[in-house]
Amino acid sequence: MSEYVVEMRDIVKTFGEVQAVKHGEFTLKKGEIHSLIGENGAGKSTMMKLLYGMYPIDSGEIIVKGEKMGVLDPKIAINHGIGMVHQEFMLVNELTVLENIILGFEPKKGFTIDFDQARKEVQRYIDEYDMEVQLDKKISQISVGEAQRVEIIKTLMRGADVIILDEPTAVLTPQEAKRLFEILNNLKEGGKSLVFISHKLNEVMEISDRISVMRQGNYMGTVEKAETSPLDLTKRMIGREVFLDIDKSYGKAGDTILEVKDIWVPSGKETSKIRGMSLSVREGEIVGIAGIDGNGQSELIEAITGLRHVEKGSVIINGKDVTNLSPRKVRAAGLAHIPEDRNRMGLNRSLSIVDNLIAVRLDEPPFTKGKLLNKKDQDSYAEEMVKQFDIRPTDYNLPTSALSGGNAQKVVVAREVSMKKKLLVASQPTRGVDIGAIELIRNTLEKAKKEGAGVLLVSAELEEIISLSDRIIVIHEGKITGEMLASEANENNLGLLMMGGEQKRKESEAAV
Amino acid sequence: MSAVIDNMDKIFNLSLVYATFRSASPIIFAALCAAITQQANILNVGTEGIMLVGAFTAVAVSYFSGSWIIGVGAAMLAGAVIAMIIGVGHVKYKADNCAIGMGINMLALAITKFLLNVIFGTNGSFTSPDIDPIPRVHIGFLENIPVLGTLLNDWSLMEWFVIVLIIVLQFLFYKTVWGLRLRAVGQFEEAAKTAGIKVNAVKYQAIFIAGLIGGLAGAHLSLGYSTQFTENMTNNRGFMGVAAMYFGGANPVLTSLGCLLFGFADSVGSRLQAYGIPSQFVLMMPYIVTVVVLSISMAVKLSMNKKRQSSLT
Repeated sequence: MSEYVVEMRDIVKTFGEVQAVKHGEFTLKKGEIHSLIGENGAGKSTMMKLLYGMYPIDSGEIIVKGEKMGVLDPKIAINHGIGMVHQEFMLVNELTVLENIILGFEPKKGFTIDFDQARKEVQRYIDEYDMEVQLDKKISQISVGEAQRVEIIKTLMRGADVIILDEPTAVLTPQEAKRLFEILNNLKEGGKSLVFISHKLNEVMEISDRISVMRQGNYMGTVEKAETSPLDLTKRMIGREVFLDIDKSYGKAGDTILEVKDIWVPSGKETSKIRGMSLSVREGEIVGIAGIDGNGQSELIEAITGLRHVEKGSVIINGKDVTNLSPRKVRAAGLAHIPEDRNRMGLNRSLSIVDNLIAVRLDEPPFTKGKLLNKKDQDSYAEEMVKQFDIRPTDYNLPTSALSGGNAQKVVVAREVSMKKKLLVASQPTRGVDIGAIELIRNTLEKAKKEGAGVLLVSAELEEIISLSDRIIVIHEGKITGEMLASEANENNLGLLMMGGEQKRKESEAAV
Repeated sequence: MSAVIDNMDKIFNLSLVYATFRSASPIIFAALCAAITQQANILNVGTEGIMLVGAFTAVAVSYFSGSWIIGVGAAMLAGAVIAMIIGVGHVKYKADNCAIGMGINMLALAITKFLLNVIFGTNGSFTSPDIDPIPRVHIGFLENIPVLGTLLNDWSLMEWFVIVLIIVLQFLFYKTVWGLRLRAVGQFEEAAKTAGIKVNAVKYQAIFIAGLIGGLAGAHLSLGYSTQFTENMTNNRGFMGVAAMYFGGANPVLTSLGCLLFGFADSVGSRLQAYGIPSQFVLMMPYIVTVVVLSISMAVKLSMNKKRQSSLT
């Protein structure tokens, strides 16, 4: 038998027009942690979804433990010992942790589910790999880190010895990520083989035994961790060196452009409710909001931009009280907004690039003449934007649904930034976009600041927050747990505050 | 009006309890039919049509076979066949629930009218002494017990059965493997799929069972509740069932409680009629209750949601 528990050879997979995987190769040894890295859209998730039988392959072969697989579906994959922890958790919110874990593989007692037996089995894994979870809570009541452990236990319950983790750290704090890595190492020592999908090189360098790289649907080779470096991996991933380090300018911050005074904001999730938050942003500075996803970031942004009701407190933009005004009126006060979810809030996906570019100022000349649209001026504007923001493809009459994540986001950024409003709220501006677009978007934000705009930046990437911001505000469960200058911030002190830790008193606060 | 006030004790008496339940029973069957598919996140707009076809089939088959059991069985099968049309349309061809459901309702109305004419050569309604009705359950020893006798004696067999059915479904949804999978499919299809559950199979099963129960709802209406078939005899009971299902969040027990409200409005209404309240008003009652019940349940849900989400508490 071969030394590999999984072999994927010459894999091709096309979705409609898009060739997601052009030439995929992957092997997994027993008891190793094998990282699969690449930019967004490189095909790494697709490769693993193919292994898990989410979609059939077009051509190529998949061999699991020496057995060539025919058409796979998740059930068959599970029966062959393959488990997957998806990027978006596959957990039913309104069911309990225990119900979710046994779903599909329920122990039975006559006609009913044998919950006692289930509990006993689950407890075995909890003890063996040191993963505490609360079995009787509903999924909607537990933290992201815990939900992830539930997902891992789920795969174990189903008898997985090959576990695929799709960008598992994207939603975790540095501390939670460390905890996850301990669990992964426990699993590895227990003889499990793990696939770790990521684009964070420092993590990959920490956890992996071997690393495979994909670029634009193609397999770019596999290296032993000991024989590579982050720089080498970057070059393999994107074919050139990138410079994400922003040349940060230190202008003088001007007048206060945004003032949030003790706001209280409702939310469907207990930890996301904002209970008394005050902050301000001045012209010519970038204020970063750091925090674990779901601790009130979205609610804060929505409260500022008029998308969510504020129960108490006030929001003042450019001297005007905009609390609970309609989004349109808030925008008129001087707001530009790059929303966190481009597909749901940032773009109308079925409309064209040009329509999306002018969407927020349809009623302004030169885009309209009287009540009619002025197509000619729209076109010349779109042409300019496409060129300036390097939006590809350049045909601005294409629907935005045809664009990759990075290019779609560039459309949103182009629209919002080009209005040159005094306040720019940017929420997760580089989430799920390729590294080239990240570079462009970060530079654009820096430029807006240099031109005098006040920028409020929310990002799940600490490295992004630190490198772009002048000041950083950390939030936890809807409250501000600390504030510091970016020059004083690092992953450790931010991570601690993100977990709700206390900030040590420093002179920095006086300086702010 | 004064007549109503004078006769309060005749309108609101012990027999109103049974009358309420009796009027509610066809709606409960319909609501359970809607609840099963709703658990799989499929809004069963076609409940009305399934029920109507069931009602016709029950009468026709009972008439020709002379057996209510065969009639009921045939009605359930007919309901399942109609439901499977919805199922194939929705699951396989991704048709919109409302469109296909309304289509089925119109088809049911037309086809029962047509068959009534072709088979029985009549329009409007059909009744005959040859129709074998679903029997009533007479419990001898209750006869002389004052309160219980009035309350429980001489129920139609189906009225007892609906109580059994509520309990069975409650158990099925929340205690069995199939129920857990059904709810998982309804709440987060992808999660169920990654758990290796055949999502479409579960949906078809849910729709099929809903069809059986919808057919039974119709049979109860035409062979138990009355002994005849009338054009459009379901008279929107299917929609009331769907409304009650919303009210109860597709939970069988809560859903049935919602149906009792409709039953109550219906029976109080028909009693009021005897005391000079215009019949148009009385006929309107169940629908007003539908609107009111739905509005209240939505308003309560909204305000509870708002309270739950508030940052101030």
